[in-house]
Amino acid sequence: MTAKTVDGETIEMQSRHYHPQATNEMNSKMLYGAQVKVANIRDTSIQPYRTKEESFEFVLPEGVRTAEITVNLSYDVVNPDMRYNLHRITREVSLD
Amino acid sequence: MKYWILGLAMVVMALPGMALAGKKATTIDELAEMFDSSRCKTCHSQIYKQWEQSHHARPMMGVAGGLKDTPLAVKGATPFSPDTPEEATIETFPCFKCHLPQALTHAEDSVAVEYAKALLDKDREKIGKLQITCKVCHNYKAIVHRLSVGEPQPDTLYSTGEVARHPDSEFTSVKKSAVMERPLFCGQCHGLGPNLEFDNPVQCANLYGSYLHAYVPAGGTQTCQDCHMEPIDGKADHLIAPNFNDKEDTIARYQQALALDVQTLGYEWLLKSGHHVPKVVVNTKIDSSAGHRIPDG
Repeated sequence: MTAKTVDGETIEMQSRHYHPQATNEMNSKMLYGAQVKVANIRDTSIQPYRTKEESFEFVLPEGVRTAEITVNLSYDVVNPDMRYNLHRITREVSLD
Repeated sequence: MKYWILGLAMVVMALPGMALAGKKATTIDELAEMFDSSRCKTCHSQIYKQWEQSHHARPMMGVAGGLKDTPLAVKGATPFSPDTPEEATIETFPCFKCHLPQALTHAEDSVAVEYAKALLDKDREKIGKLQITCKVCHNYKAIVHRLSVGEPQPDTLYSTGEVARHPDSEFTSVKKSAVMERPLFCGQCHGLGPNLEFDNPVQCANLYGSYLHAYVPAGGTQTCQDCHMEPIDGKADHLIAPNFNDKEDTIARYQQALALDVQTLGYEWLLKSGHHVPKVVVNTKIDSSAGHRIPDG
């Protein structure tokens, strides 16, 4: 989620990551790669038939009363360098 | 003499079937030849063309040709990695369990040595010869209940229907598989969770586990095949999408599976008397109609 002023200045940027997170169960370091990871210790992935809800909130800087909101849902195929953008929704929020 | 000729003829006829029954390959080329299914395209051209674009046709290549097994061939990179590629064995590559299951029973350690060298050399042409071919699914992995049904027969393919006289020199009949249309069939490789049978456990895909323990309890009734092998012209699509290298199609599939809703609110929050704070709230909802967690493997 990115919020910008009408002039394009970034006000706020927040992200959520949805994926299983695994270690080798011998220490606390998350590992990537089937050859080394052993078991999930946390799973924030999107589950079937279960709504994933988030609430992002932030305070507008002084003098700013309108924000352009963009929410991107993307899929990182291997890593963030190979990103497939799935949905992009924009909203304008004004206090006036 | 007649009997001798007949006996010889029977041995020659039996050899192709025996190729899957016991012989072990000593090279990548031999293993690829043993499971080569290219002649299937003579009659099943559309299915073969779909499979050629699938990840099953390049199971060792990784997404975008990343050669995912490379760490296994690099000294010290994983618990399995040998000091030198010459020391590699079939056990060096636990990924063979699903990415090249035929190697477990039909390849000598020399194939692992050649594979380790190919990974270090980034020899994509050689590695690309290692495939999950028609024979792997329609014969080698076709029977799950082996105690009940027996081992796959060397002259028989298994599919969703029967063909009494299959016009092929090696596989002369097609029998109906009890599980080929069921998630269990895919679950053989597409994962329950940690693979604890190895000396060092590994975890790859959890898709089947997610299907069983999240999708089914949530009331889902579709099979893997319903969504990933949706028929085209009456035949199951053997692309078995997604093909992650096909960006456009992959995005379309995920867009279909994941719905995003965004609600926004701007207001002046009253923190304390006389002190309003200009605040924005963005609420998002993602709904998934997939049959498993996203992402998984």
